[in-house]
Amino acid sequence: MLIAVLQAVASGLAVGGAYALIALGFSITFTTTKTLNFSHGDFVSVGSFIGVTVLWLLLGMPINAPLAGVTISVWQQLVAAVVTVTVVGLVGVALYFLAVKPFAGKPGMSWVMTTIGFGIILTSIGLAVWGPSQLVVPSPVGDDTIRIAGVGIRPQEILMFVVAIIVMAVLDGVMHRTIMGKAMRAVAHDQRVASLMGINVTAVMVGAFFLSSALAGLSGFLIAPIASASLYVGLSIALKGFSGAIIGGLSNPRGCVLGGFALGVLESLVNLWQAQWREIVVFLLVILVLAVRPYGLLGFRTVEKV
Amino acid sequence: MRSLHLIAVVAIAAGAAALAAAIGNDYYLRIGFMMCVYYLCAAGMNVLVGYAGQKSLGQAGLFAAGAYGAALLSTSLDMNAWVALGAAAVIAGLCGVLIAWPSLRVKGPYLAMVTLAFGIVVEKLVSEWTEVFGGAEGIYNIKPLAVAGVPFTNLHWVWFGIVLAVITHLLLRNLLTGRFGRAFLSLQADEIAAESVGVSVYRYKILAFVIAAVTCGIAGAMVAQQNQYLNSDFISFNLSIFILLLVLFGGSGSLYGPLIGAIALTLIDALLARWPPIQHFAYGGLLLFSLYAMPNGVAGLFARFFAKKPTAVPVQASAEKTEAPARRKDDQSRPLLEVASVSKNFGGVRPANDVTFRLQLGHVHALIGPNGAGKSTMINMISGVLTPSSGRIAFLGSEIGGLESHGICRLGVGRTFQNLRLFASLSVLENVLLGQHCRMKNGFWSSLFALPLAHREEAAANARALSILDTLGLRELAQTPAGSLPYGLQRRVELARALATEPQLLLLDEPAAGLNPQETSELGKLIVQISKLGITILMVEHHMDLVMAISDHVIVLDYGIKIAEGTPSVVQSDKRVIEAYLGAEAA
Repeated sequence: MLIAVLQAVASGLAVGGAYALIALGFSITFTTTKTLNFSHGDFVSVGSFIGVTVLWLLLGMPINAPLAGVTISVWQQLVAAVVTVTVVGLVGVALYFLAVKPFAGKPGMSWVMTTIGFGIILTSIGLAVWGPSQLVVPSPVGDDTIRIAGVGIRPQEILMFVVAIIVMAVLDGVMHRTIMGKAMRAVAHDQRVASLMGINVTAVMVGAFFLSSALAGLSGFLIAPIASASLYVGLSIALKGFSGAIIGGLSNPRGCVLGGFALGVLESLVNLWQAQWREIVVFLLVILVLAVRPYGLLGFRTVEKV
Repeated sequence: MRSLHLIAVVAIAAGAAALAAAIGNDYYLRIGFMMCVYYLCAAGMNVLVGYAGQKSLGQAGLFAAGAYGAALLSTSLDMNAWVALGAAAVIAGLCGVLIAWPSLRVKGPYLAMVTLAFGIVVEKLVSEWTEVFGGAEGIYNIKPLAVAGVPFTNLHWVWFGIVLAVITHLLLRNLLTGRFGRAFLSLQADEIAAESVGVSVYRYKILAFVIAAVTCGIAGAMVAQQNQYLNSDFISFNLSIFILLLVLFGGSGSLYGPLIGAIALTLIDALLARWPPIQHFAYGGLLLFSLYAMPNGVAGLFARFFAKKPTAVPVQASAEKTEAPARRKDDQSRPLLEVASVSKNFGGVRPANDVTFRLQLGHVHALIGPNGAGKSTMINMISGVLTPSSGRIAFLGSEIGGLESHGICRLGVGRTFQNLRLFASLSVLENVLLGQHCRMKNGFWSSLFALPLAHREEAAANARALSILDTLGLRELAQTPAGSLPYGLQRRVELARALATEPQLLLLDEPAAGLNPQETSELGKLIVQISKLGITILMVEHHMDLVMAISDHVIVLDYGIKIAEGTPSVVQSDKRVIEAYLGAEAA
């Protein structure tokens, strides 16, 4: 029993890493632009496919060729990762100009609809290119399960966890120690004042969307070997990342990260008990948390001056 | 006017029904039926999104509540189909309350998340809990509606859909063109201001959710009964998005937007159904670009083409003069408002520290003090925006500290705000009519069915609002959007709105802020005039000339402590007051 629980916690932490990356992405755009990318999930799935596509190109294989059993060198994996992150980040920039910029800061939250629309288009294109089928992606660190104290962990899960932690630690440092991070936080606090201080607000916002989408791409790339790539898998992953962000508190990036990990573990534990109930439990929990703490567990309440 | 509209609606509906009868092709009838179903969803959703301004991404959950309610009641419990349809509406309405409850506390993206999570929970519930909901296999043999034992044909279903759509349209129109419509719009514009004129934000949000839930539930039940089959594939996140799109594409906040959305999108849906990839792509494009090209939907586009000339003011020459809310000849010595040892803490900051004062009926009181003295905090506590940390605030002898704003407004305390809080997109008249909100007696049902009471109350409120506008010299501007007026006039509109709540005590938070000297002196006269009507005034003000000229009694706060009070001359010569304003050495 204990081992089963430990096992669940371990894989929960791995998936939680993906959720946390996504949650952080939500937090980044929310704090800087007060908008969210509701098609984040599509970015995740497209991210995994772009990664695989780069591998196909590097290996000189046709698109949709099975990758199982093919040896892929480390540099090829690295190139694939970098290209994925960059391309998905650029798609995020396109998203910003097409779907977010015209509506950011205006009442009515039209950006909810436009970002969903952008995501649908993205998925449609993806379906045309890659088709609807699932794809098994080999892990760059091998698929042999490692046993630690009876708990079986796949190397990819460790990689996922470690990369997520590193990326988030670096970002945290950047946000708090560099002038660029300070500019982002200034824009988050008050766009107009930031602009008056000579900060290029549009550039910061573009940067935020690039970064947020790049994180989605990265999590898509990393999770593909665990969950197998499919254009439909993104939605549920991103929804849970979103839930993690909301539980932690959108306005607090560290809270979002914790929320993402917590959600991963929780989901994994519920899975142990009843697999088909895990989503219901997770989302009921989200509703409950928000009913009690409307700004998330670690979020900051903004008091409106009357 | 109203009967003309009724005739037009009935005629169009009859035409549509006749057209359906003439077509007779099952495929087309099915499209017609779905138009009605989607119209029902959209019409209710419009109240929630377009009027109350609450985005819901979980409408599929309510659709499911209705659909599965009707399905299970008529199969497991063998209930009559008509009863099941009614019960489904009730079930969906209850689910609406359920989702409204957590939604009351959250805003913006958090609200989107709560509704989205609700939709997903329902979606997963119906697909995973197979023992009850049948999952992907579904529920068969759902009883269709029937008359005298003969089940509905496709044509009957279309007719039934049209009848329901017409009823829904007429009822919602009754509701939305009067007191309730304005209250919903006020929520969207500014919740704090809405509370200050007596609109209960909680109540109206729940009501909006329930209306959206009921129409959506009926739509779901109809789909289940018409198909006589239901499975979990009917309920998906895409349906939630589609329902929201119906409203946004058609034109949210417009009475005809949902109709346009339902017809147009059902047609597009049917036309593209043969090419699923293109259909998908088209939806994405619609979502992405329609809001860009038409921020107010198709209806908004039409409205711009046929730009309404400002409709002539419904001039019901205000025969009844503003009867001053009869000056209450209560015992003059009894205080109207009593603030006793009130304190307020924000963490370590104490903007009110054991403050005590009394307001006398019919007097003009001024609350002054340097910046940060806690004047606005005091106004906010009296009007219920903030709750005192300790102490007692009694209005006419009853405790009001900690009551909600709308309740305090109802008791007879009106207010204006330091930073204007008008309902900017509503007209001046609508703003003032909202002031009348808490004095109108027509409730939900009488408004919904446009009973004579609703007409009477609406006419009376209109007359009273116009006469207030007359008094303040704003009559000409009645139809102008309040947000488009120059600053000084906006201040006056806010005052008019506060007066329309028929207050006994009027709280003015820096009424002269941003006014030029001439406007300020006009304001002074106006305040005296208002006070002569028997309305007691408490104003926070920095213009000392104004304060000293018109106040009967001045209260001075500094760092949350009352340092002096008395007649203007007494206060002016008080040592501590001079210290507070000019520093210790000057004294």
